[in-house]
Amino acid sequence: MNNMNFQVNLQGIIDLLSNHLYSDPGVFIRELLQNGIDAITGRKRLGHTFEGQIKVELFTSTPRRMSFSDNGLGLTQTDIELFLARIGSSIKKENLDTSDDFIGHFGVGILSCFVISEEIVLITRSAVSEEGLEWRGRPDGTYSLKTLTKKVPIGTTVYLSAKPEYEEYFEYYQVSNLLNKYGEYLPTPIVLSEDNYNMNINESSPPWLMSKKEAMEYVERTDYSTPIDIIPLHSHLGGVTGIAHILPYAVSLQDEKKHRVYLKNMLLSDKMSNILPSWAFFVNSIINTTSLKPTASREGFQENDLFHAVCDELGVCIKRYLIELVDKDMDLFQQIIRIHYVSLKTMAVEDDALYELFIRHLKFETSYGDMKMDDILKDHTTILVTASLDEFRQIARVAKAQELMVINGGYVHDLDLVRNLTQVEPHITVEVLDILKFSNRFEELDNEDHALTQPFLKYASHLLEKFQCQPLVRWFEPSEIPVMYNTNQEVNFFRLTEESEKVANPLFSDIVLVIKDELYEKPYAKLCFNYNNVMVRKAMESSDLTLQKASIELFYTQALLLGNHPMGPEELRLMNDSLLHFMNRGFENANGALQ
Amino acid sequence: MRERYNELRRMSWELPQGKQKIMVMEKMIRIADLYMTEEDAYQTRISYLTAASEAGASEKMIIAFAWCLAKFEGNPGKYSYHELLWYYKWILGAIWKIPEIRLEQIESLFEHFKVMSEQYGYNLRAYYHKQVNYTLSIGNFDAAAKAYKLWRTIPRDGLADCKACEQNLFGIYMFRIDYIKRGMQAMKPILEGKLRCGSIPENTYSQVLLPLLKLGKYEQASKIANKAYHMIKGPEYLSEHGKFLLFFTVTSPTKAKKVYNETIEFALDSKVGWDRLEYFLCARFFLTEWHKKKRKIQLVAGDQVTLAWLDQEIQRISQAFNYRNGNDYIHLFIAQHYKNIQEIKDAYPE
Repeated sequence: MNNMNFQVNLQGIIDLLSNHLYSDPGVFIRELLQNGIDAITGRKRLGHTFEGQIKVELFTSTPRRMSFSDNGLGLTQTDIELFLARIGSSIKKENLDTSDDFIGHFGVGILSCFVISEEIVLITRSAVSEEGLEWRGRPDGTYSLKTLTKKVPIGTTVYLSAKPEYEEYFEYYQVSNLLNKYGEYLPTPIVLSEDNYNMNINESSPPWLMSKKEAMEYVERTDYSTPIDIIPLHSHLGGVTGIAHILPYAVSLQDEKKHRVYLKNMLLSDKMSNILPSWAFFVNSIINTTSLKPTASREGFQENDLFHAVCDELGVCIKRYLIELVDKDMDLFQQIIRIHYVSLKTMAVEDDALYELFIRHLKFETSYGDMKMDDILKDHTTILVTASLDEFRQIARVAKAQELMVINGGYVHDLDLVRNLTQVEPHITVEVLDILKFSNRFEELDNEDHALTQPFLKYASHLLEKFQCQPLVRWFEPSEIPVMYNTNQEVNFFRLTEESEKVANPLFSDIVLVIKDELYEKPYAKLCFNYNNVMVRKAMESSDLTLQKASIELFYTQALLLGNHPMGPEELRLMNDSLLHFMNRGFENANGALQ
Repeated sequence: MRERYNELRRMSWELPQGKQKIMVMEKMIRIADLYMTEEDAYQTRISYLTAASEAGASEKMIIAFAWCLAKFEGNPGKYSYHELLWYYKWILGAIWKIPEIRLEQIESLFEHFKVMSEQYGYNLRAYYHKQVNYTLSIGNFDAAAKAYKLWRTIPRDGLADCKACEQNLFGIYMFRIDYIKRGMQAMKPILEGKLRCGSIPENTYSQVLLPLLKLGKYEQASKIANKAYHMIKGPEYLSEHGKFLLFFTVTSPTKAKKVYNETIEFALDSKVGWDRLEYFLCARFFLTEWHKKKRKIQLVAGDQVTLAWLDQEIQRISQAFNYRNGNDYIHLFIAQHYKNIQEIKDAYPE
């Protein structure tokens, strides 16, 4: 059996790597910078004493050209054959575990130059050799290599000439922007030169080494908004130092996060979303890492165990900051809560310690209006919480009149937050409100009144049966509310099953019936008449059955309308009929009086 | 009413997956049925299918799907057949989990799906894939082996689950027939990060925990568990929560308590027999271990969920399944579960 090698279509591979691996043509600057920095690091390792420098020179020729020089390690002929001309090999790969000073190691970076340049010319002299070499690579996969007779300095210079459609990447403003973007915080001086005008690119100190005051000013300058505060970030595992700045405005959970992440001082991505835990959406961060491993496109990190551990560690920094802030600066803590309560609620649900810290400061919608939990707990040891906004709306007004503390659990996380209260406040009782039993809390009528109301209730029960609504009567405040209509949300699901039952094919209609009848009980809404209301009493005391019928129908449909419940055609008809009935009665009476 | 519908839709987007979200969507469907077009009602139900599945409410998904299928059959050109068949697959993955639904009803659905798949130009890979889980659940291992073979032989097409999901299921199948090492081999590309999707590796993490413990690879299992249990949230993952609960009951009682408190309500809310059974079996183990010491801390739903209550529930559900399946496989399934627990306890280095 012969072992054979795969044949690779070199041009296709180069096209794939150079045109499809990277999201932006400008990354060739990053790749060249990275190679330059790594070469300087390599030369220093040999013990050479020299001032490392990277120089980028622009030529206003046609086509436009650029040279990119470093005074680093340089390449020998063997290096070129082994690494430069062999895709996927990297000089920096040999000691992958120990060569942590290097930024790259995939051996594909140089190919990004083929996106903007027809040809790559590389002049190099190795630090361990006297001879200069010239390598010319072309995107069809061919290359030539020759030894130069002229003496060249140690280091490497890459010459690129612009493809017509990428000329702008050779313009001064564009190159200086890209150098600045990727290399602003690199420790090796970078000089950009055109027509003998030289500019130093990287003179500023990185934000992760700044004092808090400097970092505040930096963020203000770059983001045009003053952050609330700066949180220092550290991860020992990931060799991370950084800052998180607390945004001065509320952000939504759905907003995509854009953290700026540097790998060994070089920008890796300015829109990384997952380096901090998802709950930390109230901060933006700028961080530098020495240990996380980039992906081949170098636009993100490999999401391995280390990455997740670092993410957790950075989360701990933010949590610790907030815990310490409570003792140090309560006003600032309150300000953060005011602006970022949604984020903080998410954190509190995730983490027991933070829950305990935050819960008393968080605001909830209650039957007494918006209140902080601290204030709620001052006067109430029994708390009811609704599972939905709809349920809350149905009973909020009445609950207040009964002096019941009901919290709306319909907003994101509120139900969980309130339900967990007993874990930190064991003397508090929390009950998830069963909306259909809510009216049972009201005062029952005495025997005499109870007997009086029975015929009316029986009649109402008969009229409302087809709407799965059961009437009852109680005495409650406020007296101006004639009826309270309560439905739990299973009623809507029941309607859904009815709709399916009507249309389902024979295969599914049986199954729909099984689910409807065996897995669920038929849900009933409750219509609670208020015996404290004058109109209700009048309706109950009336001996005119047609008037009673119209009253019941109008009370019912009015309650649906007020509660924002969708009305079916039959319910709409009831409402119209009952209203017309009363209008008619009114006119008849008025006419009778006239006559 | 369109405004009210839009308001509810905005609200549904903000709510995390779960009961509250589907309640809001049920109201949206009601409004769409009464005041909007049939297309609106159809599309709202299609979104509801995902929300119901994420809320662990498979039975609700079936109800909405029955309506969509009827509308599709009434006017096949109007709605996407691929979308419909895709959700039909979900129905087949859920229907056998409800013991109240009879075997002949389930098999008729499988047959119907088979016919529809072929009618719309798909092969039967997805059909056999769904057959594997169903036949395993009723203890018909021969049929499962046959379906598994066909599933792997027929080429992938537009109806097949994504590669990561399928690979994960290959592993799960091996675990179910007690081929632990082969199962781990199947899970390897996922654990190495070579295959992933919306629900993988999250699901895989929970699947490999106990096999790893059985193989004595405590370190690896522990590493995966600590990383993964943050990632799995919500009622959709009831069975996964159970597996974490079981794992932490053996390895870290404090974490087990946290998982239990966060998830027991999901199980109590669930109407799906199989999901409840799987979770309750793990919860039973947790409570047994938990009460071995005197505890001051009150557990969530402590008044309702006692050991006696769990035994009663487990008994009730397993009887319902055995009655439906016409065999006593669920008893064997439970016996295997207890055997697994013993093996894990033995393998754990205390």
